[in-house]
Amino acid sequence: MLTLWARLQADLQNYERRKGMVVEGLLYTKEHEWAKVDGDIATVGITDYAQQMLGEIVFVELPALEKEFQSHDEIAVVESSKAASDVYSPVTGKIAEVNSVLQSEPELINRACYTEGWICKLQITDNKSIEGLMDAKQYQKFLKGL
Amino acid sequence: MLSEEFIFELSDVAPVGTVLYQEHLKLTDKSHMAPFAGYLMPLWYSSIGAEHSAVRQAAGLFDCTHMGVLEVAGVHAAGFLNSVTTSEIDDLSVGGAQYSYILDAAGNVLDDIIVYRRAEDKFMVVVNAANELKIKAYFEGLQKNQVVVDTIELDRKLKHKPAIRDMRKSAAGDCRVDIALQGPRSQDVLSALTEDETLREHIANLKFFGFIEGRIRGIECLISRTGYTGQKMGFELFVPPQKAPQLWEAMLQSGKSLGLVPCGLGARDSLRIEAGLPLYGHELAGRFRVSPFEAGYGWAVNLQKDFFIGKTAMEQAAKAYDMKIARVELPGTKGIRPVRSNDGVLDISGECIGWVSSCAKVDDKQFALVYVNKDSANENNPVGVYYLARSSSQAQQGRQQTVQKGQRLDADIVGTAASRFAKL
Repeated sequence: MLTLWARLQADLQNYERRKGMVVEGLLYTKEHEWAKVDGDIATVGITDYAQQMLGEIVFVELPALEKEFQSHDEIAVVESSKAASDVYSPVTGKIAEVNSVLQSEPELINRACYTEGWICKLQITDNKSIEGLMDAKQYQKFLKGL
Repeated sequence: MLSEEFIFELSDVAPVGTVLYQEHLKLTDKSHMAPFAGYLMPLWYSSIGAEHSAVRQAAGLFDCTHMGVLEVAGVHAAGFLNSVTTSEIDDLSVGGAQYSYILDAAGNVLDDIIVYRRAEDKFMVVVNAANELKIKAYFEGLQKNQVVVDTIELDRKLKHKPAIRDMRKSAAGDCRVDIALQGPRSQDVLSALTEDETLREHIANLKFFGFIEGRIRGIECLISRTGYTGQKMGFELFVPPQKAPQLWEAMLQSGKSLGLVPCGLGARDSLRIEAGLPLYGHELAGRFRVSPFEAGYGWAVNLQKDFFIGKTAMEQAAKAYDMKIARVELPGTKGIRPVRSNDGVLDISGECIGWVSSCAKVDDKQFALVYVNKDSANENNPVGVYYLARSSSQAQQGRQQTVQKGQRLDADIVGTAASRFAKL
């Protein structure tokens, strides 16, 4: 009986920690960044899969306002106690806003990577740069293949 | 022409799960598993921090079944081990364990090990997972006289040829793998599972680095008061591999009410770093060729012995060394960039005195083990750290990717040298 109960508990926990939650309506990169495009503004963050892989995030280096990036440029650095990981810009554009709350609460990325844990907003300067991104279905399929 | 230096190339192999792999998948997601020394091991189950503090306050269970376990047996066993390890085997009585080193003739540390004496003529040698294949090849080379054992008497051969077997994989005979149970409540966890009252008493009376053999839940078990967390109370349980999942599950279940949690490689690393314990390749050997004396373990090299492989080199190493491993405490609150291996270590004047060899975050602090000038970073001295470039854009902006001793640098973060080992 005890064993069964423990199994059930473990299954439940596994269910909650299922591999990389994906959100509909966002665009994704193979490096596990997401972008939410709203007019000419793209909000950017890292995906659930990425934050799970990194573990407890303790430091985020944010880009400077107004700075311009090509898609695939290094835009930020996210560091956990185990690794420093580059964040690449999913789009080409200029930094319009950064989530400065992450400087004192970097763990927001662990807690809410698609909402409060966003990293920065870019004003898109090249609409073509969005074209190569995956939608939620494609990204989910990509995750399954990992 | 045989070389004084034992050179062993490790080939790349795809990592495989340990015997506890299925247990891990019940407890954590596959994405938390990482390749380590040829095995897929959990980095953490809940979080490194929670597992770390569970070990300090209650108890933690570690899959150490990846550790190499060798048996050295027969009338030649003690003689052989006396030649290939740096400690005096005659000081080791049955039921006792000994921390020691295996060196090559040139004095390079091939591994740090623990030798368990199970009988006058039967020893169990636990080696690092990453060094297991190298040590097996070395022992084989010694058995076949294909290895230089003395830099002065080049044609010297070892007289003792014991029976050596891999205790994790042997087709026949007693097989064992390592599960570690560490923390102040670990003895209670073990007691709760031990039906045999005499054994329970023996376990309670075990001294540090002592061991006892018996049965727990019917499973043959070598129970030793050893570990890699710096915790005074802690055990390693050596059990038959096919029984390991059963014991693992039984301990987690029965220990749950005592606060026992499974712990991954992340906590294993942060615990040993906070405690000040060396990791082969970082605070021992590795790119700086750190010697046992520099690491603070000169006591484990017995220069009174007539002979052991590497003794001549160790006599030199003991006399003259100008570097040491030190332990440094740094701020580590949220939003502070973590210190990493190879970052520059600076004295108060900003002069680079060495490098970070390991670092871990523990609560609101970071603990770094550093390889620095012997006369520097004494307890309570202020110590600075220069962050190497974390990304290519930082490097483009002029942040260095390597630093040399003697360089003048600006500290990015300042901490204090602590005692060599934590008083836990």
